[in-house]
Amino acid sequence: MTALGKIDSSNLNGGQKLAVKYFSVAVVLFGAQVLFGLLAGLQYLNPDFLFGILDFSVNRMVHINAMIVWLLFGFLGSVYWLLEDESGIPVVGLKLGNLAFWVLTLAVVVVVLVYLLVQVGAGSHASIWLINEGREYIEAPRWADIGIVVCVLVFFYNVAATFTKGRFTGVGGVLVLDLVALAGIYLAGMWFTPNISIDQHWWWWVIHLWVEATWEVLVGCLMAYGLMKTLGVRRKIVETWLYIEVALMFGSGILGLGHHYFWIGTPEYWFTIGGFFSALEPIPLVAMVVHAVFDAGHHKIRSTNHPALAWIIAQAFGNFFGAGVWGFMHTLPQINLYTHGTQWTASHGHFAFFGAYVTMVIAFFYIAIQKWRGNVWMSGGLVGAWKWKWALALLHIGMLTMTMALLTAGYEQSQIERAIEGSSWAGYFAAQGHHWFIQGMKWRQIGGWIFAAGFVLLVWDLMTIGRRETQPAKSLAE
Amino acid sequence: MIEPVALKDFFLTFFSAAMVIMTGGLYALLFAYSRVKSRPGLMPLAYAAYAGLFASVLALAYAANLLNHGFWIGIVLLMLVGYLLAPHAIWHLCVGTHRDELAADAEPAEVFSTAVNSREV
Repeated sequence: MTALGKIDSSNLNGGQKLAVKYFSVAVVLFGAQVLFGLLAGLQYLNPDFLFGILDFSVNRMVHINAMIVWLLFGFLGSVYWLLEDESGIPVVGLKLGNLAFWVLTLAVVVVVLVYLLVQVGAGSHASIWLINEGREYIEAPRWADIGIVVCVLVFFYNVAATFTKGRFTGVGGVLVLDLVALAGIYLAGMWFTPNISIDQHWWWWVIHLWVEATWEVLVGCLMAYGLMKTLGVRRKIVETWLYIEVALMFGSGILGLGHHYFWIGTPEYWFTIGGFFSALEPIPLVAMVVHAVFDAGHHKIRSTNHPALAWIIAQAFGNFFGAGVWGFMHTLPQINLYTHGTQWTASHGHFAFFGAYVTMVIAFFYIAIQKWRGNVWMSGGLVGAWKWKWALALLHIGMLTMTMALLTAGYEQSQIERAIEGSSWAGYFAAQGHHWFIQGMKWRQIGGWIFAAGFVLLVWDLMTIGRRETQPAKSLAE
Repeated sequence: MIEPVALKDFFLTFFSAAMVIMTGGLYALLFAYSRVKSRPGLMPLAYAAYAGLFASVLALAYAANLLNHGFWIGIVLLMLVGYLLAPHAIWHLCVGTHRDELAADAEPAEVFSTAVNSREV
C-alpha cells in the first residue's frame, strides 16, 4: 500500500485495475444517460427543441441504451473487482479481459456516434447490420451485437476459469451459472422474424429475463460480497441466503415473464401464468424484510465504509418500493390493459432500475475508491462527508420527483387515452394535451434537474472522497 | 378469462395493490422485529398489519373483478395464505441458517435465545 488518501493503482490487484476502468466508463455513460434524459424531457415540454438536429427518438434511445450499457459496465467492473478476492488467485486471461474492455468501449463509442450522426432514413438489411437493429432498448446494430457477445464470452472465460483454477466459493458458483444465462439470453434478441408477435416473444426474453432474473441474481452476488466487505457478515450465512433468494427470485421471476405477454398476440394462457407468478414476485421482497431485520438485530452494525453501506441500504428500500410496490400496482392483466406502455410503465421503470441496480453499482464505486486510495478511512467523521450524503439525498429526491410526476401523467393517460377514448389516435392526443399530463412532464423535468445536480455531486465526491484522510480503515475484526 | 377494471375502480385498484405490498412489508417487519427484540407486545400490531393486507387483497379482488372467476379466486387465496405464512417460513430459515453462529458466540444475543433454544418459531 502507498500513501493513504492518494489514488494509486498499485493498491489494487489485476482484476481490480480492470474493474476501475469499467467503473470509469460506467460513470461517463451514467452522465450521458442523465444528459440525454434531460434533453428528451425538454422535448416533451417543447417538441420543437432540437427538432431535426437531435430528434426525440434518438435522445430517448441514447438515454435508455446508455442506462443499460452503463449498468452492464458497472456489473462487469464489480465482478472483476471481487474476482481475485473470492477465488484467491489472479484473474485467468486478464490480458484478454483488458482487450475485451477496450473493444467493448470502442464499440459503444462508435454505436453512439452512429446513432447521433445517422438519425433518420429507411430501414434495410444493411441498416440492421450497420446502424440500428430496430428493437427497442437493444437497438445496437448487429455487428455490435456480435461484438458484445464475444466480449461477454471473454468475461465469462475470465470468471469461470479463475474460479475453476482457484477457490470455487458459493458466490462464485452462482455467479458463473448466472453468466451462462446472461450471455445465452442475449442471443434471443439477435435473430429476426417478420412476425411481430414472435419477435416480441423473444425480445422479452432479453428485456425481462435479463432484468428480473439474471441481473437480480448478479446483484444478489454483489450484495453478498458487499455485506461481507462492509459489515463483516459471515460467508456461510451470506451464501446460504444467496441460494435461498436466488431460488425465490428464479421461482417467481422466470415465469413472471408472463406479465409482458398479455398484449403481444401470445395465447390467452399467459394471463393465468403472468397473473399467478406476478402475485408471487413480491415474496422475495417480504423474505428480504424479515432477513434484514434478523441480521440487523444480530450484528452490531459497524461499517468500514459508510457511503457504500448507505447505498446498499438504499438498494433494499429502492428494490422494495420501485420493483415491488410500483410493479404490483399495475401488473395484473385486469388493470395492465390500461397502463401498459403509458407513463405508468416509465414511472415503474425509473424507480425500479434506480432502486434495484443503480444503488448497488454506486455502492461498488465507493468500495473501489476506498481501496484505490489505500484502504482509507471512510466511516464516521469522514472529512467532507456532506458530499456523499447530499449526493445520495439529491439523487433520491430527484428520482422520487420523477417517479411521482410520471405516475400522475400515466394515471391520466390510462384513464383518458385508454379507458375513455379506447386507445384511439384521438385519445392519444387528448391525453398528451391534458393539463395533468403537461404538469406531470414539467415536474418530471424538475426532478431530472435535481437528479442531475445529485449526479454532479456524486462525481465530485467520487473524485475527492478520502483525499484528505490520513487514517486507515478499521478492520472489522478489531 | 379476464374482466377489465371499471373506470370508477381505477384508483381503488392501484391503491389496494400498493397496500398489499406495503402492508405485507409492514407485517413482515413487525413480525421479525417482535421476534428479534423479544417484544411479544408488537405481535398484535404485526397481525393488525396482516389484517390490513387481508382487507387490501379483498379490495383488490373486488376492484379487479377477481372474485368472478375460479382461477383468480385461487390467486386471491394464494396471496392471503402465502403472505400470512411467508414471514413464519423465512424466520425459520433465518434461525436455521444462523444456528451455528449463534451457538459459536460466547454471548449469543439474548434476544435469540428463546427462539433458538426452545424452537418457539
